[in-house]
Amino acid sequence: MIDFLQTHLPALIEGLRVTLQLTVGGAVVALLLAVAAGLGRRSRHRWLRWPANVYVETFRGTSALVQLFWFYFALPFFGVSLPALVTGVLVLGLNSGAYGAEVVRSAINNVPRGQWEAGRALNLDERKVLFRVILPQALPMMLPPAGNLLIELLKNTALVSLITLSELTFTAQVQRAATLDTVPLFALTLLIYFFVAQILVAGMRRLERAVTRHRGGAA
Amino acid sequence: MLRRLRNAAGVLAVALLLAWLWPRPGELDGGATTGGNTLQRIRDAGVVRVGFANEAPYAYVDTETGQLTGEAPELARLIFRQLGVAQIEGVLTEFGSLIPALKAGRFDVIAAGMYITPLRCQEILFSNPTYAIGEAFVVPAGNPLGLHGYRDLRDTPGATLGVVTGAIQLQYAREIGIPDSRIRIFPDAPSAVDGVAAGRVSAYAGTSLTVNDLLGKTDAPLERAEPFKDLVIDGEVVKGYGAFGFRKGDVKFRDAFNQVLNATVGTTRHVDLVEPFGFGENTLPGNITATELCEAVPND
Repeated sequence: MIDFLQTHLPALIEGLRVTLQLTVGGAVVALLLAVAAGLGRRSRHRWLRWPANVYVETFRGTSALVQLFWFYFALPFFGVSLPALVTGVLVLGLNSGAYGAEVVRSAINNVPRGQWEAGRALNLDERKVLFRVILPQALPMMLPPAGNLLIELLKNTALVSLITLSELTFTAQVQRAATLDTVPLFALTLLIYFFVAQILVAGMRRLERAVTRHRGGAA
Repeated sequence: MLRRLRNAAGVLAVALLLAWLWPRPGELDGGATTGGNTLQRIRDAGVVRVGFANEAPYAYVDTETGQLTGEAPELARLIFRQLGVAQIEGVLTEFGSLIPALKAGRFDVIAAGMYITPLRCQEILFSNPTYAIGEAFVVPAGNPLGLHGYRDLRDTPGATLGVVTGAIQLQYAREIGIPDSRIRIFPDAPSAVDGVAAGRVSAYAGTSLTVNDLLGKTDAPLERAEPFKDLVIDGEVVKGYGAFGFRKGDVKFRDAFNQVLNATVGTTRHVDLVEPFGFGENTLPGNITATELCEAVPND
């Protein structure tokens, strides 16, 4: 047992590092894109709505694996050559962001129309209504599905072995090739994913509590 | 007070995590480079990036030392030193991604012991071969279905064959006439061996050296199918000739590499270098060249 851990754990932790780099980096990219595209899809202006729609439907509607392949292996032929880690962060972020945009949009849509009208009745301009009245009510609704997406993102990182990044799953495969300890190795890998996912869940819970507290406790 | 302490600890933990995750020098390198004079570029840099797929004994990471080793990387080190490039740097990827990654400039040479095949020659250039070996099957202990070759498997109703994605054995199986419905494609050789152990397939087809290597590592009740009938396609015994891969545009680079390679392959220095990996006098490729192997008529 000690022997097994000594052989495999250091490598798996290096793999975990790449997995977390992709998760954290991807989440930052996804957050920015989700807010931008979620708001963009609701915009009255066609030049905001259209790009947001194209982005969301493109990345939701095509396979993440193929997107990775495309960004990594095909873009260099068009003169754009991003390092592997940047490609991974970007593609995973673009993907989660597309789903996130729908989370943002539906949460805003779920704030009762009366709140918009009340805001306008108080003589607030459109931007103020959105940022002071609507978004604070929409935010608590966004967090549970956002937490889901974050865990999904963590597990999607396993796709990037295709583009020469040795993340957790691929590292486990490499270690297995050396010793063929398939069953215990993949059991350990599952445990590591589970442990990280629990930390993400706890973090999201805390965020949810903080956000609802600021709203004055109303659910 | 306690709460403030806890918050401070939380902030510290996040800061430490981010510091650990922050890209280290070199981690963001590795954009693609193509075009220009590849040999001149790697000479100037003193380092050449080589792609490999972690398949022992051809090219793999020694998990004890973390170093890239195997028949192809060790030979590449020797050759590149003579070409004035001091260092090789491995880029690990899946076997099926090696050719696309080479073409996209993610590395400059494939050093994975890849077989020269006419199909692959349409995509990339090959050096002259560095070894020639035959095929083998991994089967459950006792070989219950009596599989001693591709034709046996084809003629045994219900027998299924495991192969690795992008590997030559799929092509062999098809040429022999094993229907696709009885072929299972695994992502890598260890998965295929585990597939036999778990009863997912009747046999795994790989190169004889891969098979020896993996059977040496596993405790599962598996064996190498013996005797193994030579694979004969169109009246000729099929052997795999492994070589280094180069981009189509790098003819001069490949030729310079070949020049040193031709003077090296077959020398005692070469044989001593590759013997620890199970290669030797008996796996030397003879006088056959990459050009001849590329021109072999595809069987379709």
